[in-house]
Amino acid sequence: MIKRFSVFIYWAIMIALIALFFTNDYGIVDIHKSAIIVAVGIDPAGEEVQVTAQLALPQPSQSGENVQYKEVQGSGLTVADALNEINSKTGFYPRLQFCKLILLGEGCQQHELFRILGCFYRRNYSELTALVAMCEGKAQDMLAMPATVNPETYTAVQRVLSEELAKSANVASVNLKDIAVSNYSESEACCMPYIQASKPGTSQSGGNGDNVGGESAGGGSQSGGQSGGQSGGQSGGQSGGQGGGQSGGQSGGQGGGQSGGQSSGQSSGQSGGSASGQSGGEGQPVDFTSRKTAVFTRGKFAGLLDEQQSFAYNILKNNIRLAVLPCDSEGIHYTVGLKNTTGGVKLKVKNGVPELTLKFKANAQIQGVKNVMRPEEVMYDDVIQKNVLRGAEKAVEERFGSLIKMCVEKDCDILGAKELLHKYNHKYWNTFRGDLLTRMKVNYDVEIISHN
Amino acid sequence: MKISVRQICFILLCYNAVSKMLLYPTVLSHYCGRDLLFAALIDFAVQAVVVWAVSFLCSRTDKTFFQLLEGTFGNIFARIIYGLFALFFIAATIVPLCEQKLYVHTIFYDTVPPLLIFLPFFFFSIYAAGKKFTNIGRSADVCMPIFVLSMIFVFSMSVLEIKWNSFMPVLKTPVKDLFGGALGTVFRFAEPCYVLMFMGHFKYKKGDAAKMTFSYIGGALTVLLFLFTFYGIYGDIAQSRQFAVSKISLFFPAIDTIGRIDLIALYILEIVMLFALVLNVQLALHCVMQCTGYQNRVVLSLAVNAVLIILLMVFDHGFNNLHTFYAKWMWIAFAVFANAIPVLAWTLRRKER
Repeated sequence: MIKRFSVFIYWAIMIALIALFFTNDYGIVDIHKSAIIVAVGIDPAGEEVQVTAQLALPQPSQSGENVQYKEVQGSGLTVADALNEINSKTGFYPRLQFCKLILLGEGCQQHELFRILGCFYRRNYSELTALVAMCEGKAQDMLAMPATVNPETYTAVQRVLSEELAKSANVASVNLKDIAVSNYSESEACCMPYIQASKPGTSQSGGNGDNVGGESAGGGSQSGGQSGGQSGGQSGGQSGGQGGGQSGGQSGGQGGGQSGGQSSGQSSGQSGGSASGQSGGEGQPVDFTSRKTAVFTRGKFAGLLDEQQSFAYNILKNNIRLAVLPCDSEGIHYTVGLKNTTGGVKLKVKNGVPELTLKFKANAQIQGVKNVMRPEEVMYDDVIQKNVLRGAEKAVEERFGSLIKMCVEKDCDILGAKELLHKYNHKYWNTFRGDLLTRMKVNYDVEIISHN
Repeated sequence: MKISVRQICFILLCYNAVSKMLLYPTVLSHYCGRDLLFAALIDFAVQAVVVWAVSFLCSRTDKTFFQLLEGTFGNIFARIIYGLFALFFIAATIVPLCEQKLYVHTIFYDTVPPLLIFLPFFFFSIYAAGKKFTNIGRSADVCMPIFVLSMIFVFSMSVLEIKWNSFMPVLKTPVKDLFGGALGTVFRFAEPCYVLMFMGHFKYKKGDAAKMTFSYIGGALTVLLFLFTFYGIYGDIAQSRQFAVSKISLFFPAIDTIGRIDLIALYILEIVMLFALVLNVQLALHCVMQCTGYQNRVVLSLAVNAVLIILLMVFDHGFNNLHTFYAKWMWIAFAVFANAIPVLAWTLRRKER
């Protein structure tokens, strides 16, 4: 009897077992009952940490706008304590499978990085794919700011950390895995983007083409352009890269002068707010930028790379598709587009001296020139004069030099020189491991050729 | 004949590979760091030689291992050895069983009590363990294409994230740690015993020993590729990442947009993992039957699985201690049962083919 029905019994059990295993919903929760943490902001508060979670609250809706975003805060001695408080307020199971952004407040600079981030690496609390960044001011404030480009703050921040932006050397985008691998390598250094908020429709001049942001959204210091520290009147050169300044150059990006830009930003923010509920809280919408980079050595904050240093770091470490390089040649300002780039860092020990070579090759084409455009010359934009190419190479070398100087001064090996020594020159490891950065000779191998 | 050479080859390839994709890479990373491939290579090389030795022995006799023991030392001795093998197979099941429980709980069902969600496995185990070698072979036939498809899926989602220089500098791990890693993980290598148990249950043809050995090597290469991928992605933090198979495809760009599609492959692979796990139970039952002479498979299956359920409950909260004990001491049992006895089987009196 049993034999007769054995095949049916077998299949019944198999189907039941498979059904059991497939009763999971691939990690998707019941969206009508749950709050999903999509981003967290972490601010130290004395011995404790304050964690602000941006929650996606699924809502039944006929209009298609079915998600509201809210911020909920918790605190505790560890991030896990704080998250537990958040979860007790939201009723969501304490894991961060959907968290795609971890924002560290400026206050985290005073603390050991992996004491704060440690809980994200423990067991399966969260996946290591979440993007990590440090922000100017408090993370909770930044998460509460409405953004001009997107109604959800976390999405707006994600946009300035996006892979596409990383491919233009404008951001050193990293996730939890990247910073842990870097920090626990022989170099003991890691970095993450530094996010700043600025009022929409403003841009600070004086960055020689590397202008960033504008008037600080917090009403404080002028963030953009200062770090470049270079003088010189700017108007036309910045417009392509930043899409706006207070001068006429912004019109392409913002559709008008400052007032026009602000009103546009406000309206989009308000409409976004109504569409998504409480996203970003109240107040004027802001622009986010992340062209500066926070660097850490041995788990402690070492400093900020300015826009030029960050650019140098990005073209060496990222896979670049098109980077925009401002440079000067014979008194004329050029904006050069760099394509087909290859960059990298090599370390060799020659005659007992470690030599670090920063290598960068690219094809260039002219994107902008600070002089009057002549139609008969534009067709030759892909055939660049040698003096402009040398100017571009010089600009890249200057940025490399500035980056190396910062690394040596702060004893911060974000270029991974020690790792290279350990991996490829292992016999010299014990000799140079202590003071490699100060003893190494630095060579630049920069070659920029005309695109055609 | 109850099982075919093709099916044995599938077992040596895919069951061998899937049984080493959860905590094995993590533990090996902990012991040996960037030289984990060499530690794995040591284990696989030794086991491949033993697999070849046993499969080549099959070319010299039509008898089963029990018959060889019986013909040389008598029936009582053969029963004792099979009794010990039954205990060995049960012991070889415990750690993988606990791993599976943790894996299913952590990756698939994190909000359900772990023991509760895993106990249905024993419905399957009780049923499958009561089956004969014929069914073991058929299961392998089913599992092989599933295994190939899901591995292609997982590997293709992972390959772009590999950092090729993660393994530099090569062989700088102290020899003690390297061999410590190889020895501490040897309790996951029971494949030579499978061939020993299948001996006499399949029709040997010329070249089958090579087929079986190369199948085992194929499984070994899959595991080495897997270890390479895992460590290439996570580098020095690999030792903090548990359940490697669920971690390597996370960085595939499309996952951000369309969700955890890698879980589809993992669910499918889980089927193969469960069949691989239940093979030890099936062989334990086979040994108990030979040892006791009691032929009621249903009763024996219930008994063997009851023992496993009790052990699972006992070690429900003591997996770390259990794993430490296995890593420290169980290499002795595996050296005897999975290596020494299969090789010494050559010394048994056999009827030449």
